[in-house]
Amino acid sequence: MNDLCADIGFKSINHYGEQLCGDHIDIVEPDDNSTVIVLSDGLGSGVKASILSTLTSKIISTMMAEGLPLEECVSTIAATLPVCSVRGVAYSTFTIIHIKDNREAEIIQYDNPQVIFLRNNKNFDYPKTEMNIGGKKIFKSLIKLEENDIFVAMSDGCPHAGIGISYNFGWKREDIANFLETLAPVGYTAKTLSTMLVDECDKLYNYMPGDDATACVVKIRKREPMNILFGPPSNRDDAERMMSLFFSKIGKHIICGGTTSSIAAKYLRKPLKATLNFENSDIPPTAELEGADLVTEGVITVNRVLEYARDYLDENKRYEEWCFSRDGASLISRLLFEEATDINFFVGKAINPAHQNPDLPINFSIKMNLVDELSDCLKKMGKKIKISYF
Amino acid sequence: MKITVCIGSSCHIKGSRIVVEELQKLISENNLTEKIELAGTFCMGKCQQGVCVTVDDEFYSVSPETVKNFFEETVKNKI
Repeated sequence: MNDLCADIGFKSINHYGEQLCGDHIDIVEPDDNSTVIVLSDGLGSGVKASILSTLTSKIISTMMAEGLPLEECVSTIAATLPVCSVRGVAYSTFTIIHIKDNREAEIIQYDNPQVIFLRNNKNFDYPKTEMNIGGKKIFKSLIKLEENDIFVAMSDGCPHAGIGISYNFGWKREDIANFLETLAPVGYTAKTLSTMLVDECDKLYNYMPGDDATACVVKIRKREPMNILFGPPSNRDDAERMMSLFFSKIGKHIICGGTTSSIAAKYLRKPLKATLNFENSDIPPTAELEGADLVTEGVITVNRVLEYARDYLDENKRYEEWCFSRDGASLISRLLFEEATDINFFVGKAINPAHQNPDLPINFSIKMNLVDELSDCLKKMGKKIKISYF
Repeated sequence: MKITVCIGSSCHIKGSRIVVEELQKLISENNLTEKIELAGTFCMGKCQQGVCVTVDDEFYSVSPETVKNFFEETVKNKI
């Protein structure tokens, strides 16, 4: 195992007036270091396209993850997809990005726009082998992975963006590659890059997309461990053990909670300095503690992080709230969503008597739910999560 | 003189931010920035009585409604 991993993010917009997207992305992880990503675009739009693309991506990702040969996947799809009554064909395009052992990417493309590959932030023209499977022309490439490699798979809604509105012939693939070249050096996450690309398409369509448009970004990056301490242990005698386990971990250390940070300060024998910078936000201020990378208040801050996490996985509309701000919740969000790849939660199950006041909107079960829901969201972002309770 | 305001979860919900901002305003309006140091702290363990404020280690319970009164009567008398 090397220390690379794949950061994957995608976003779709629907054909104007449609409630369903005719593009579908399916991601399967057959083992810890391998991922199969399938983007497929069903014929037409709406329900029919959605069914075609969902079937296609689901079948391919499941079969590929089980190690079946590509020929079988393609013939299974050809035999399974329902035939369109209007056009008399069963048709759905697909792009497969298969990350093997975090060392190599196998890219298989059928009729979608060619995957854009950026190496060292520059568009890189990679070799492709043409194959003929069941009369379908399929291109296959193998690429050895390096840090900062970026793969961008798209449905044809992206290069068709703006046809007849902003551009005569749509947003050309080279122009999309140029657009990505300017964004890549900033270091955005895969999710943010895909959002920026698809939002640009939406703009070119004048916010009335003439086709479903999807972008999926795979970014190869180094693993980054992160540790987060939340709540004092239920038995105060465990504090020493909890702290020594927490602080011995490699990676950054985030501490959430007032009492928790006092315990940490005592363990480190360093003063805990609370700041009074409210940063134009309704989130309580942060504190400083030598030996910890970030110290924040507990439930209110983490609750906001959870709100941001849910939005990030969904429409990513609140990105601008947390991408620059200096309040506790924004700082945690950036560390967890953007920087971290492996997150260790150290959760204390102590009940804060002050929080049991029925006038307050916080209590013990809410606190435990926060951890569960936040870790679920982070898993969906592709992070590896470990939770230890004390 | 040092005034410390709790910025923990409970006191935050009870309006510690307003208390801090009001105190900052009153201190500068009265030209007392040289004499009064305003600081924050996490939980003082008396959340039921929040917003928790200490003036040189003496405990007071303040709310956004009473902060002005607290400043005029308690803080000014102690200078």
